[in-house]
Amino acid sequence: MNPRTLLWLVPCLIVWAVLPFVVPRNIADLLVFTGIYTVAGLGIGLLLGHCGIVNLAQATFYGLGAYASAYCTVMMGLPSIVGFLAGAAISMALAYVIGRPILRLTGYFLALGTLALSAIASALFFEWDWLTGGTLGIGGIPKLDLFGFLLDRPSRYYFFVWIVAFACMAVAHNLIDSRTGLMLRAMRDSSTAAAALSIDLQALRTKVFVVCALFGSLAGSLFAHHASFVSTQSFTVDRSISFLLIPVIGGATSIPGIVVGALFVTFLPELLSKLGDIHQILFGLALVAVVVLMPEGLVGAFAKLRTRFARKGGSHG
Amino acid sequence: MTLSLVLQALFAGVTNGIVYALVGMGLSAIFKGSRVINAMQGEFAVIGAMTTVLLLTKAGWPYAAAIAGGAIAGALVGAFIEVAFVRFMAKKNASEDSFLLLTIGLALSLSASILYFVGRDGHLLPPLGGEGVLIVMDAVIQFHALWLIAIGIGATLALRAFYHRTTIGLSMMAASIDADGAATTGINVARMRTFTFVLGGLLGALGGILVTPLIAVDYQLGLNLTLKGFAAAVLGGLTNPLGAAVGGITLGLVESLAIIGISSSYKDVVAFSVLIVIMILMPQGILGRAGRRGG
Amino acid sequence: MAEPLLALREVGHSFGGLSVLRSVTFDVPEGGIIGLIGPNGSGKTTLFNIVTGYIRPLAGTITYRGAPLVRETIQQRGLQGLVRTFQTPQVFEQMTVLENVMVGCTKLTRTTMLQDLLRTPAARGQMREIRARAEAACERFGLTALRELPAASLTAGQRRILEIARAVIGEPRLLLLDEPSSGLNVQEIDGLREWIVRLNEEGITILLVSHDMGLMTVARTVHTLYFGEIIASGDMAAIQRDPRVREVYLGV
Repeated sequence: MNPRTLLWLVPCLIVWAVLPFVVPRNIADLLVFTGIYTVAGLGIGLLLGHCGIVNLAQATFYGLGAYASAYCTVMMGLPSIVGFLAGAAISMALAYVIGRPILRLTGYFLALGTLALSAIASALFFEWDWLTGGTLGIGGIPKLDLFGFLLDRPSRYYFFVWIVAFACMAVAHNLIDSRTGLMLRAMRDSSTAAAALSIDLQALRTKVFVVCALFGSLAGSLFAHHASFVSTQSFTVDRSISFLLIPVIGGATSIPGIVVGALFVTFLPELLSKLGDIHQILFGLALVAVVVLMPEGLVGAFAKLRTRFARKGGSHG
Repeated sequence: MTLSLVLQALFAGVTNGIVYALVGMGLSAIFKGSRVINAMQGEFAVIGAMTTVLLLTKAGWPYAAAIAGGAIAGALVGAFIEVAFVRFMAKKNASEDSFLLLTIGLALSLSASILYFVGRDGHLLPPLGGEGVLIVMDAVIQFHALWLIAIGIGATLALRAFYHRTTIGLSMMAASIDADGAATTGINVARMRTFTFVLGGLLGALGGILVTPLIAVDYQLGLNLTLKGFAAAVLGGLTNPLGAAVGGITLGLVESLAIIGISSSYKDVVAFSVLIVIMILMPQGILGRAGRRGG
Repeated sequence: MAEPLLALREVGHSFGGLSVLRSVTFDVPEGGIIGLIGPNGSGKTTLFNIVTGYIRPLAGTITYRGAPLVRETIQQRGLQGLVRTFQTPQVFEQMTVLENVMVGCTKLTRTTMLQDLLRTPAARGQMREIRARAEAACERFGLTALRELPAASLTAGQRRILEIARAVIGEPRLLLLDEPSSGLNVQEIDGLREWIVRLNEEGITILLVSHDMGLMTVARTVHTLYFGEIIASGDMAAIQRDPRVREVYLGV
């Protein structure tokens, strides 16, 4: 690791470690959500930034993870880890089975196909109330217990969620840097040439979709143990859309960008809500502004700005 | 399951299908004219219906004038979207995905605006042709549904005539098939794109106004209608607005079969599954290649 | 006579009723350089697409290393050593030159998704190997100075060389070059010709499509396609004397 990276990484880590102890409880709570959304957003970022796939179905896998945790712990009285694993297994299996056919679609068709998938899942969560509790939901999900250390306050759960998030970021980084990542980027740039070099596009897209579902499910389980209560309202198509916004706003090819995007979608509505009911309109317009003015997301726009300043500085010197 | 219930369900299917057809025709017209999938097409329906409700109840306009006002509101919003956003992004050669995200963002903003300015409640419009019903073999059919079907068919025929008979319709077709070629013959391609959004807004608003006597309109209705309209358009071959009419009615009938065969609560699940399967297996739509020539 | 590496028998294809290839029959012997010439629209690229699996032919058979090629995907054919370049070079624009070459090497190595996600020693080892091989290839093809540049910034000639380097690193047995000289200047074409000869000497069989009669002299046998049919075959000198070819190309 070079010294320049350390120069910003160390202060960032210090701020990260101190933050939950100095901010009010509601902010700590939002920071927990930022961590959860980072995990969910990472998967979508991999698909969007490295495969050119718009995934509007992440709320499905988020829901599967959350319900698996809720059902296993509350209804069956099993340890939390079983819920995490069950959610992951079900999500990955579903992503594989659905991904094989649906990922043959491209462009708009694929984007709206995943949106339709999210709408189907959201309707099924509502209908299968024997499993999900329907609109009444499932309550009383226990807080996580880490070897006797109860993660019952946002400031405690914060560390657990963010360590999971950092681990997921490391995994995503590994993937981008690997042989698979090389093939993914080739496929995004020219699928015809990638095929000529024996890259199996369909298999690769499906695998990344499965990884995305795994992240979604993990985020869902984390959410269930944080909120203690899950119901259909949390897993609607709207949620899928806001998950997609995370990489769009932050910048899909950059891993720190996902954190920026997650901060944006958790904090901006909260900040705007002080302005009263008008906040939802402003949030929608903020999104439009980002899409129109910063096609590469906030991180991309920031990088562009920095090179512009660097160039100016250089001409003076 | 009695015959009258089947008849009732099929009739409801056609009625809903016409609404999907109108939304889908608008979506397809916009795609044909601009290569943009408009993810706020259902929002046009909500704007049309909500404007009509407000003009009728708050401003006290006569019903016919309020309907005209609602339809024009849809058309104006369509024009505004094109001029204010799409044109700017088209100049920068924005990707398919950016247009999709733009229209998703606009859909969120519009739905939030309706929540803010109108409120959370659902609103109904009075049925066209009064509260009367027609009874066919014990199946109850509202007069409004008959009006809806008649207007829907009328709008489809009018759209066909517009594309084939009027100068502006032909110019729009030309610009959608070959933008550069059309530009050399003096067609203003950017203006044609604005017109397609006007047309899309108009058709969407009409669909919304016609459905509101049957389903209460609220700020959340848009997304569902967008997906149903998209399904109708995909069934019809996407670039063929008249195919979307066939697609919409097919979708409505499939839904009513799902209601008869499974349960009314699985109607959306079945409709969206059909959408996914058709996209994968029949990307040209149910009319196949022949469908592409129409419209 | 030894069995040919690739054999086409009565291959035919049409698009929407328009016949683009009619009973095309020829052999590509192991170790040879075979040329295909013909005016625009004579079906050369369609033939390439058929051999490499982008299009399935409507008639005829293709035999590669003694076995028929029917349902094999593009990828499977690539793994069997059939590698092509494109009429307009298809480089991965947002990746660097080195990364482009590395992509060509991915098919020689195997890692599972799990290994890549966890960056296991095996995955790192594979990646090191890919990088080392790609660096060697860059060195060999004179791309070392450019290797950190994004491929989007290359000139047409550099793109062509990059595309060939990327194909060759995957150890092809039959290399199909589609109009490799288009967009190149005279010097670059000379360099290209040397590369074709050298790669052939190393044992790579080459099927070359080109308009460029000068470049075509590297081919031992040249087939002339005209409206989907082979109208003449032979060495370049014979082709240039052939009255039908002269009629097609020169109108005499």
